[in-house]
Amino acid sequence: MTNIWLGLFSGIAFGFVIQRIGATDAHRMARSHLMLDADIPRFMLLTVALSAVGLFWLQAVGVGRILPLPTSIVATGLAAVLFGIGWGLCGYCPGTIWAAAGEGRMDALFALLGGLAGTALFAQLHETLIPLLYDPTNVGQITLTDLFGNYGVAVVVLVVALGLCIWAIGKLWGSDDHERVDLFTRRPVSEKSTEV
Amino acid sequence: METRNRQPIPYWPWIPAAFALSGIVLFIFASYGPPASSSGFVSTLNGLFAWMAPEYAASKAHYQAIPGPGSWLFTFVLGMAIGGFIAGRTSKEIPVRDIPPIWKERFGESRFKRYATTFFAGFLILFASRLAGGCTLGLFISGSTQLAISGLYFGVVIFVVAMFTARLLYGKSAGKEENR
Repeated sequence: MTNIWLGLFSGIAFGFVIQRIGATDAHRMARSHLMLDADIPRFMLLTVALSAVGLFWLQAVGVGRILPLPTSIVATGLAAVLFGIGWGLCGYCPGTIWAAAGEGRMDALFALLGGLAGTALFAQLHETLIPLLYDPTNVGQITLTDLFGNYGVAVVVLVVALGLCIWAIGKLWGSDDHERVDLFTRRPVSEKSTEV
Repeated sequence: METRNRQPIPYWPWIPAAFALSGIVLFIFASYGPPASSSGFVSTLNGLFAWMAPEYAASKAHYQAIPGPGSWLFTFVLGMAIGGFIAGRTSKEIPVRDIPPIWKERFGESRFKRYATTFFAGFLILFASRLAGGCTLGLFISGSTQLAISGLYFGVVIFVVAMFTARLLYGKSAGKEENR
């Protein structure tokens, strides 16, 4: 019962934040994919880096539950290709679909219905596809810790790698020539316009 | 004062937003476990089939593996919709549109064309997520936070393929239109 309320609360907070960063806006996602807007990819990678450091700390104090998913070279890779095609086509992913539909975007509602249909088809074919595509190349629940031998070292490697990616995205993606508004005052951040 | 003519960006800046979201991700790890959102689709269907065709739901491994609507997985996606609704209603700046302007510029005003595409894309995305065992959140964000190779591998491929797809889709018209 507690889980139901925890899930609801977490979902509301999550949905709120991803709406505010613009991840539920398919227009902004398309611009991110076209390398015109660097904010969403940098936001995602920084979220992962901060979460990885935080989870290291949570694990150190013995809080929380982890469950890394196994890697299947064929199934994970093939799924990622199909997922990428869909993501590029519509600009939504399974999480943002719900928040965008709640926001009132009609195209997201259709993506949600399509998602339910896709889930239903996969569930129908699960018994055939998992032994065929997933199991043969399943290498288990491997993590960076297995590669580097130490959890702390692996976290540092991940954070450095993500930091480099964030820096590279900032360089390679077109910088937007639009000014930014302050989070709380809603005033432009640019120093020249404080008196507006 | 060349900045005067520019449109302000209505979105939160990415660094504070990432701190906020990682705080939520860590809260979820601490209070429940690895966050996931594509499982919410299975949970929804599980509830639907348990009501309409209980024998079918009981016979499929995929529905047995994931609990029905009375679970964290379902209330999380329900909460996402509520959070999106609240955020949408409390923001005057972020535009809510049925069809993205970048799409209109390339493919016109047809609602049917856009909705048919997002239906098909949603179908692909969820079929793929269920095959991989997770999505952008459940596999990439949640997995990479746990240092899982599956999450990093999935994340790299989805970004590259989505960028390639968007380039093919929007082609040369991309980038000419306004930011908002």
